[in-house]
Amino acid sequence: MIYTIVYGLTIGAILYFISIGLSLTFGAMRVINFAHTLTYTIGVYVLITLVNFFKWCFPLGAILAILAVIPIGYIIERFIIRRLYGESLDYTFIATFAIALIGVDAIKWIWSVRPYPISDPIGKYLLFWGLSLPIYRIVIVMIAIILFFALNIFFKKTIVGKIVVAALEDKDGVRCLGVNVDKYFSIVFILGSALAALGGVLYAPIGSVHPYMGLSVLLLSFAVVIVGGMGNLNGTFLSAFALGMVMSITARYWSQGAETMVFIVMAIVLIFKPIDI
Amino acid sequence: MDEDKASLNKPTELPEELRKKPIIERGAIDLMAIAIFFLLITPLLSVHRVTDFMIFCIFAMSFDLLYGYMGRLSFGQMLYLGTGAYCCGLFIKYIGGNPLLAISIGIAFAGMLAMLLGLIIVRTTGACFALINLAFNHIGFFLVLSPLREITRGEDGFGVSASKLGVLNFGSRPIMFGFVLLCLLLVYYCLRRLTSSPYGILIRSIKEDETRVRFLGYNTFLYKWFTFILAGAIAGLAGSLTALNYNYVNPNAMDVHSNVGVVFACLIGGAGNLYGAILGGVIYMVISNFLPIYIYRWEMFLGFSLLIIVFRFRMGVWGYIQRFWEYTIKRKVVPRLMKKEAI
Repeated sequence: MIYTIVYGLTIGAILYFISIGLSLTFGAMRVINFAHTLTYTIGVYVLITLVNFFKWCFPLGAILAILAVIPIGYIIERFIIRRLYGESLDYTFIATFAIALIGVDAIKWIWSVRPYPISDPIGKYLLFWGLSLPIYRIVIVMIAIILFFALNIFFKKTIVGKIVVAALEDKDGVRCLGVNVDKYFSIVFILGSALAALGGVLYAPIGSVHPYMGLSVLLLSFAVVIVGGMGNLNGTFLSAFALGMVMSITARYWSQGAETMVFIVMAIVLIFKPIDI
Repeated sequence: MDEDKASLNKPTELPEELRKKPIIERGAIDLMAIAIFFLLITPLLSVHRVTDFMIFCIFAMSFDLLYGYMGRLSFGQMLYLGTGAYCCGLFIKYIGGNPLLAISIGIAFAGMLAMLLGLIIVRTTGACFALINLAFNHIGFFLVLSPLREITRGEDGFGVSASKLGVLNFGSRPIMFGFVLLCLLLVYYCLRRLTSSPYGILIRSIKEDETRVRFLGYNTFLYKWFTFILAGAIAGLAGSLTALNYNYVNPNAMDVHSNVGVVFACLIGGAGNLYGAILGGVIYMVISNFLPIYIYRWEMFLGFSLLIIVFRFRMGVWGYIQRFWEYTIKRKVVPRLMKKEAI
């Protein structure tokens, strides 16, 4: 049972990293970003290349992979997403999906379709009441919790965070104060992309790496955002961990049903609390 | 004063060209044009392939009814196609080989599923509608793949062999072709009649502004529900035909990722127009069948062309053909496409 809980918390932490950016773009810009997990996949592939290059120095490779994603996030935001503000929903759907297609194909072009294995960078186990828990998973959960508090401080104390929170409530009002909202949104977008890459980098050693990994996790993170409420950071945190637990508990008893259970939860939430965009 | 009253009471005469009855009805010309188009492309491709194209066009029309006419983008229309295919296939496999009965079973079950799920789905709009459809499609895919494995044979799928019914031997390609063409024309004709009726105008007004339609006293829920069921049933027809055409059903018929194809087809052809759906369906099928042979990076090509469509080319191929026709040939001034209102 302890294993189930730890595995659920790990999945929850990964989902949390990915969903923050999605939740913010969803809530602030009313753009449903199908290309969001593209940066997640790219981060993983950059990490693979760097880890081979740096002879298994994992943290350095991870940091460089996250930094490498930032210009890509900026390019996507500047040339595609920025043109879609205020457009009708279907066009943003399709345009961002097109970016995802291009990105996946580019990854296949550069790194080929072959899946890569990455081994656990810590590889040690915590012995605890006769149980052996992988330390790596505990580290992931710790990072998620630290990030949660860091983001809370960021959005409550810093001026950038305050502007973004205000703009989530009332975009036009903030613009009337003479603030260039789009600039701050692009900062938020890049932050979200980098966090998605962080999620990917941390997930790579415990999952499988293939070009379509982004698309499969994207649907899950949509479920997280919808269950938690768009643009609601605390809600995203809670729902990510809750859905992670749902997945791992379902997987314990019925391994194929794990992802479907998440969608059943999402459907129930949508039935009782429809979002209106 | 009297003169004015007299002119008011006089029945207004229709203009000359409206009173004249055309020799052949316009609907008949449309149907003939579609049939001739598909017959013409048959020698270029092959009979089997064109049958496949036409089935996809039926599916694209069902999607167009939801997206183009009612303005609800669904990312889970494959669920109804898959339901149709599976119900039709399972009927033939376990109960009897009568193909017509199997097709009607497929349509009925897809329609009933749409009826049940529609009660929930139709209440939502926009992103919520798209995502809840996606969720149900995912659940359906999973059900077929794993818990119902005993019946549906899971990933392997199962063979479908319909028995002969007089002339109607679905084993032979030309007869399948003719039957599918007939179905396509029937669906086209019914949808044409429906969408140009008051009902069609109503669902188009729901697309524009649902609140105002409700203010006018219409029960929009019923109309949306009916449209959803109709779209589901037509997708079920397309699914049944797919099962009979391939003689084979597997979970690909319900694959969540295939939804992109139909969205793309509708957009490239021009959403909100049945001709657009048919043309887009053919273009998409040509691209997905032949492009991978010539261009290795065809997904990238698809991505870039989608971006171009979204940013520069929103009316779709049929929209531009129509504008060209009205602008140059009929010399009418057509307003430029307005930018969509902010949501």
